[in-house]
Parts: sequence; structure tokens; C-alpha cells
Amino acid sequence: MWQPVVRSFRESFWSVLVSLIWLVILVTLLPNPALAQGEMVMDIRRYRERELSTGYYEEYEVKSARLVPIVSVPGVRRGLFPYSPTGAEVRIRTRLADSHRGIKFYKDLRCEYCHVNEKWNIHTVRGNLICRQCHGGEPIASINHYYSPMNPTRRHAYVCSKCHEGASASYASYVIHAPNPAMLSTKETFPVLFYVFWFMVALAVGTFAVFLPHTALWGLRELLMKKEKTEGES
Amino acid sequence: MSPKGKTRIRRFSPVQRLFHVLLILSFLTQGATGLSRMYIETSWGKGLASVFGGYESCLTIHKYVGIFMICWFLIHGLYLFFKIDWRQFPRSLFGPDSLLPRLEDLGQAIQHVAWMLGIDRLLRLDRWGFLKKLDDFLLRITRLPPLNRVSYLKEFDGLLSVITKPPRFDRWGYWEKFDYWAVFWGIPLLGVTGLIMAFPLVSTRFIPGWGLNVVFWIHRIEAVLAMCHVFIIHFFIAHLRRHSFPMDRAMFEGSVDLAAARHEKPAWIARLEQTGKLQSQLVAEISVGRKALLYVFGYAAVGFGIFLLIGGLVNSTSITW
Repeated sequence: MWQPVVRSFRESFWSVLVSLIWLVILVTLLPNPALAQGEMVMDIRRYRERELSTGYYEEYEVKSARLVPIVSVPGVRRGLFPYSPTGAEVRIRTRLADSHRGIKFYKDLRCEYCHVNEKWNIHTVRGNLICRQCHGGEPIASINHYYSPMNPTRRHAYVCSKCHEGASASYASYVIHAPNPAMLSTKETFPVLFYVFWFMVALAVGTFAVFLPHTALWGLRELLMKKEKTEGES
Repeated sequence: MSPKGKTRIRRFSPVQRLFHVLLILSFLTQGATGLSRMYIETSWGKGLASVFGGYESCLTIHKYVGIFMICWFLIHGLYLFFKIDWRQFPRSLFGPDSLLPRLEDLGQAIQHVAWMLGIDRLLRLDRWGFLKKLDDFLLRITRLPPLNRVSYLKEFDGLLSVITKPPRFDRWGYWEKFDYWAVFWGIPLLGVTGLIMAFPLVSTRFIPGWGLNVVFWIHRIEAVLAMCHVFIIHFFIAHLRRHSFPMDRAMFEGSVDLAAARHEKPAWIARLEQTGKLQSQLVAEISVGRKALLYVFGYAAVGFGIFLLIGGLVNSTSITW
């Protein structure tokens, strides 16, 4: 008759530990489970191959900063800062696979509840597009996440070309959610727009500052002028 | 004296008038189609757009008419090239019949403003009293010897004599030159930015895509500036001020009343009289029927422009984009 093996706690502990050690040894000895993919995604290996060969890279070879210990995040912080798997993700949402990860009651919120200013863009106001038609379904990847369709390396092909057939990467750099050009904050985020806008406003205001009083005075002077017109008096 | 019946003097050739009519039609079309898109959220904008077939067709018309404007602007450039008197070149460019701005225009503008403000009369009445006060002031603050003061006062008196003299305009007043050359900054600016936006896939091969954000605002502000200038300043000067009221027909009829020209452009008429060319430039008045037609066309354009201006101003707070 079968009798259950009753072991002491010490015996059980040691048997589990030995099993785990065997498992680790087994895993190390096994071949890489996705070697083919590894060839495609191993940044350092491909970098070295190209570096030794041509030194020129295609766009698809410009990889994410996944294995790079230091990254720079434009607009968030100047220069370089240490990248940690958790810290940066909490602070910056531009590189997440799910940019809305961890937001409470997210599924009950509408986009414009948080993205108040982003709602006012020509595609939404005039083109009748909704956010998801460009940003995609859940999970909405961060704009700079390597696999996001919104990533500048493929935005033109995956997003813009849906309507604007033949859109190039340059074309896709059009700023959909452009800031208000009159705002002082635009000087930091989009300086060319800010300065050009105010130059044009100054041109218009300058023209009217000269010609409106000029025209009004002229009209008034002629109105009050004596009816008799004399030679030499304009 | 003018020959019997010929009371008007030729001012614009038929080709120049054709250019102006084309400009009126294309400018108003561009203004209406552009504003109807800008104000599409308002009932005013919707109504305006419906005249042109709706929001989308407004853009189509805007693009084609814009290209048409660029074409005739280039043709006008060619016309100018052939119109230049090359035998007298470059002197012909700076003559009184040329529209090129001269330093004299600046002086006339100052004289004109002085006339508007009544400074000319004021200074003419009390010129010596004014100079005496200026002499006392100079003595008090500088302690200059009398001889130096006199020389300064002479300089100043020379300046005063220029200001107090009413301007004697020749063929083209400074405001007319400004209106003419404003088109030369407006159309290239609107045309280039318009072409960039009309063909974004091509243009973004040469400029970055964010350039479209920038050119949009250049186009919009320049268009608003051009419309406001034409609908307020140009219309008022050419049609509504006392001298031109009810309408300056020169650009439609090609001629102006000789007596009115003698009053507003005395140097032009005097020059023609001196050179004996005046008689050859005189023309007769057109028939009442043709005149009525010109009034209808001119006032339709003015009325439509003012409709766009008032509609735009009233609804300006409702612009969403």
C-alpha cells in the first residue's frame, strides 16, 4: 500500500533548492529560445556589423534606447540623465508601451478630460477626426515608444498616409497639436512659430498705425475744407 | 482750355484697367472663400461658404483662383518689363510718370499730413512768433552766440517753409504708390505660402513639415492685413472721401475729371501743359448707361468688401481655428 513520504522541513527545503539549481543550469545550457529574433533586435551586434562595414544606417536600424544606459528626452530635461527601468517611466510618458499606464479610472475618462488643448486642432475641429483615428486603440503607445505607430520614424507611413497618400517623414513633422502662436510659452516650444507670428502681427499693426489715422485725418480735413477749391491747395 | 466736350484726362490704359478688374474679382473671391473657411463654424461663414458650394469646394476655388492670381501677377511683371522706356533707362524709372517711390514722396507725405493737421496754416500765421520763441529757447538752454543761433534758425526756417507749403502732387501720390507696391509684397507672400499649403507633399520635400504650421499663420495674417487695408483704407480714399465721392471712376473709365485732377494733382497738369501734351491726353465723358454700369460694378465690389469686413469683425470672437 502506498504510503505518503513524510519529509521534514529541512529535507523539503534542500530538495527544492537543488531542483532550482538544476533548473538554472538547464536554462543556461539551453539554446536561446528566440535566436532569430535576437539577431534582428540585438542593437550592439548590428551596430558593430554596420560600423565595421559601411558606417551608414537605414531608418529601421536606428534602434530604441532599450539597451542604452543613458538616454536624452527632448523637452523634458536638457542633456543626458541616468535611465532606470522604473524612474524614467514614472516621470516620462513619452516612451511607454502604454502611455496611460497607472492612471486611475482611465477607462472612464474621455481624452479631452486631460488633453484639453490638444482637442483644438484642425484635424479634430475641421476634419471631424477623433483621437483614436490617429493615436490608435488601447493600449495607446507613447509617441516615442519604439514600436508606436506615432514614432517619428514611421508616423508618416502608419498614420499620416492613411489620409495623405504619399506622406513623407518630413511631412509628418507637421505639428498637429501646435501651440497657440501668441502665447509666451510658445517661445520655448515652437520659437519659429512664435517669432514669425509676432512679426506678422507687428507688420499688420504697423501698417494700420500709419494708415488708419492718416485716412481718418484726411477724410476729416476734406470734409471740413471750404467748398471753393483754389489752385495750389490740395 | 480743353476742347469742347473733352473734360477728362486719360489716366489708365485699357490693359491696366483690365489688370485692376481681374484683381478686384480674384481678390474678392479669395477673400470670400478664405473667410468662409475661417468662419465655417459660424452661421455667417456657413452662408458665405454655401455660395461657393460648401466648405470643401471653397478650398478648391481658393486654390485655383490663387494660382490664377499668381499667373496674372507674373504676366503683370512681364507687362512692366515691356512698359519700361528702355531708351531713357534708368532715368525713366525715376521720372514723374514712374510708380517707383522717390524721396520726394516722403517729403510730400509730411507736407500732406501737415496740411491735414492744419500745421501749415498755423505756422504760416505765426511763423515769426514761433521762430522768436525758438530763439529764446535756444538762448536759454545753449547760450549760443547770436550768429550761431541765426544760422540754426535759418535752417529751421527752411524746414518750416517746406512743411508749410501744401504738397503739389504729380501723377502719382505717395498713397497710390503704396497701394500699388503693397500688391508686390502681398501676392508673393500669399502666393508662396498658399502654394506651400496647396501642395504640402511636394513642399515638404524642400521644407520641414512644421514649416506648414508657420506658413499657415503668415498666410492668414497677411490675408487679413490685405483685406482690412483694401476694405477700409483703399475703399475710403478711392471712393468715400469728399474729393472722390461717390466713386473714383478712374480705374474703370480710364480717365479723371480735369478740374479735379488740377486740384489734386496740380504738378501733373502743369507739367502736361508746359510740355504741350495736355490736349492729346483729354478725352470725353462716357455715356450715362456705361457710367451707370461702372457704378453698379464698383459699388457691388465695395459693398461686398464691406460685407466681408463687417461680417468678419462681428464674428471674430467665434473663430475656433
